[in-house]
Amino acid sequence: MNEQIFRKYVIRRKSSFAMDKIFTYSLWLVASMILLLVTFLLIRILWNGLPGITLHFLTGIPDEIEAGGGVGPFLFNSIYILLISMALSLPIGIGSGIYLAEYAPNNRLTGFIRTSVEGLASVPSIIFGLFGYVLFVDVFQMGLTILGAGIALSLLNLPVITRVTEEAIQAIPIDLREASYALGATKSQTIWKVIIPAALSGIITGSALAACRAFGESAVILLAGGTGTSGIMWDFNPMSQGGTLPIHLWYAQSEALVEDAKQIADRSAAVMVLCILLINMLIRLPILIRDFRMWKH
Amino acid sequence: MMKNVKSFIVAIMAIIMFIGFSFGGFIAKASAASTVSGKITIAGSTALLPLTQQAAKEFKKENPKVTVSVSGSSSIAGPQSVVKGAATIGACDWDATKPVQGFSAFSGLVAHKIAVIPFATIVHKSNPVQNLTTKQLQDIYAGTITNWKQVGGKDAQIVVVNRKHGSGTRVNFQAKALKNANFMSKGDNYKEVGKSGEMLAAVESNPNAIGYTDLAYVKGNVKAVSYNGVAATTQNVVNGKYPVWSYGYLLTKGQPKGADAEFIKFIQSSKFQNGSLKNLKFVPVSQMK
Amino acid sequence: MKLEGNIKSSSYLPAHGFKIKARTKNVRNYLFFLFCLLSALMLGVVLFCIVLFIGKTGLLVFKDVSVMEFFFSTKWEPYDGKYGAAIFILGTLSLTALTMCFAVPLSLALAVFIVEVAPNWVKKILRPMLDLLVGIPSIIYGYLGLTLLIPLLRNITGSIMGDGLLAASLVLTVMVLPTITRISDDAITAVPKDLCEAAYALGSTRFQAVFRVILPAARPGILTATVLGMARAIGETMAVVMVIGNTAQIPGDLLTPTAVLTSNIVMQIIDVQFDSTWNYALYMMAFLLLIISTLMILIIRRIRGKGE
Repeated sequence: MNEQIFRKYVIRRKSSFAMDKIFTYSLWLVASMILLLVTFLLIRILWNGLPGITLHFLTGIPDEIEAGGGVGPFLFNSIYILLISMALSLPIGIGSGIYLAEYAPNNRLTGFIRTSVEGLASVPSIIFGLFGYVLFVDVFQMGLTILGAGIALSLLNLPVITRVTEEAIQAIPIDLREASYALGATKSQTIWKVIIPAALSGIITGSALAACRAFGESAVILLAGGTGTSGIMWDFNPMSQGGTLPIHLWYAQSEALVEDAKQIADRSAAVMVLCILLINMLIRLPILIRDFRMWKH
Repeated sequence: MMKNVKSFIVAIMAIIMFIGFSFGGFIAKASAASTVSGKITIAGSTALLPLTQQAAKEFKKENPKVTVSVSGSSSIAGPQSVVKGAATIGACDWDATKPVQGFSAFSGLVAHKIAVIPFATIVHKSNPVQNLTTKQLQDIYAGTITNWKQVGGKDAQIVVVNRKHGSGTRVNFQAKALKNANFMSKGDNYKEVGKSGEMLAAVESNPNAIGYTDLAYVKGNVKAVSYNGVAATTQNVVNGKYPVWSYGYLLTKGQPKGADAEFIKFIQSSKFQNGSLKNLKFVPVSQMK
Repeated sequence: MKLEGNIKSSSYLPAHGFKIKARTKNVRNYLFFLFCLLSALMLGVVLFCIVLFIGKTGLLVFKDVSVMEFFFSTKWEPYDGKYGAAIFILGTLSLTALTMCFAVPLSLALAVFIVEVAPNWVKKILRPMLDLLVGIPSIIYGYLGLTLLIPLLRNITGSIMGDGLLAASLVLTVMVLPTITRISDDAITAVPKDLCEAAYALGSTRFQAVFRVILPAARPGILTATVLGMARAIGETMAVVMVIGNTAQIPGDLLTPTAVLTSNIVMQIIDVQFDSTWNYALYMMAFLLLIISTLMILIIRRIRGKGE
């Protein structure tokens, strides 16, 4: 009797070990397949696009009829709009992050603000685009502009920056604050001189990720900035049309007028991936250096 | 350290503000002094897009102080964008100041006739079909003919590509090639695309597709099919044999002023009409009698 | 806060000469507080404006179109005065459901792999890579879908076009996969080590430990990850526009062109007048998206509330 139970147990044990083996191997399989797929996609984008990227392509004026045009104004607009949106959303986002982390009393108002941050973070980007479109085209009669695109985009960044600021500040140990107060500093002095410097790396990392997202955003720009540019390089006029590189990629592939539209799309994609890679590397650099040092010791 | 960061942020913001706003004002001020200056924004028809883009390029060469942005989505977006204020000039394949089948008239706009646009039925280059009659086209676009062998081609299902509502090419194709017959509106072999370029891409990439664009887009892997035995050429449009064409218009809010007026004048000049316009397979307005 | 109050009340100054300096200090202190408060309020104002604007414009559609027609009719022929949005609502729902069917199992497998199976060096490659993928612009995924996936689907299935729900959901799967994986990864990592150790000590295999102990323990986090992934899939516009086919019809199968809320809005908004029923209908669709995303937030809040 006992032996029977034992045998049963052994069989079950065996089958569950087999099951476990299958499970582990299939996890390896799934993970490596995803990894391979993703690497393949990234390499393909870079492979197709990188060889064609020249200084002329990066700074040249797009040519809509003959082959050989560049994406200069689009790349310029991408960076310009990104800067405008960051210039608007960084102070406000960091300010509200500080408020939530440092000042916010536990009351209805704070609850409302927190809900707003969460709500804003979940709003689909196309709705910011739609909002910008109506606001700047219909209400302010500005048309599709760089400025409008920048402002609409900053709304997209706001909740993200607020959240990373709040999280970064909350991670700071309370002793630091207490020490600062003990030395007679006011709250704002403590925040400026102690808390923000301590939270800075977290805020920068989070903001850089937000910038990544803003750089690649297309639905907002399409509606608030338009698909065109002023057609000249270094046009700082914020009232020009605000087409960016992602929009140009979309436009080039759907508007197959130029002979080399496909190459332009490929190269634009590669430029974007390259930019994202660079930003990511820059964020990770301090961590990598630290790891390297630890590994050396 | 904090001070550095602070002043750095302030400096960056100041630079952006300064460059952005003062420079922007600067450009506007400086250019106000010269004869032709300003900002032209053209939106609308993708059928006219090759033309407006070429014109913008040449116009900018002659008037370097003018910035011209050209984009296209569909004809109806032309007058809409002008009315909304998103563009200063709207391109449209019909006279939007008058009601056209399915579209009401836009009041307050002025139309400027700039070109004759010949439209063509297009198929993939490998497709053996050379000619389609009105009836065959009507049946294909109504979804009653579904296989290429029914019109003398290979045994393959026809992929019908249509432009979305609001396209001027669609309006003219329906009125002039299909003689106002109805389009199908759904089916697993049916697809609507937004722009002429997307139409070209869709037909180029699918050997069994049929679509239509203006002649300027017929290149690469697509070919134009004859209509009732008449080839789609500019010549046949001029001599009246090929009926599938329309006038193309630029629309402005009220009478055009400044750079907009100069630009329209430039497109209508005989130099442009008989030069680049002809090269792009459009027909000068003056040739139509 | 308490600490702050104490300091304020006790911040009398010993010497008279410091008074002016102290006052400017206090003013500065106050101004900074005001700036932070206004910034925070600004977010509320922005959200309020957006909801008000989109909602107010969107609800105008019901002046001309009955609620029944808008939500349940599949006839979207705005030029003929027929504004049935059911196609797009169904499209969005089925696209999201399909995407989740692909993405959730894959993401969970990957997350479990990262936490429980992968050796350290693999973890060090996988995690940054996933973070990188979150930042890749959606338009690039759409472009890859258009140039790689659709021809592939055409070849494999023999379908004549290839664009439709399947293509769109595959593109979205690749897009939301890193999001869901990273958050689930965090949730699984946060499961107390004792729990797993207890499971192993009782003789369970890794398979049993994962399914009976780790996943149930990490459930709130995984659910949050799923909902966030869903929110991203529902709101994604440009990548979907490129592969969905943009034709207002109920698709008979997964390879027939159709349309979803976002793609329809972005394709048509430029062509319509600001004060037309068509425009209002598009705004109503946007408002629907807003409502759906708000629902997602509420769901996340409930999950979080239960988890605590």
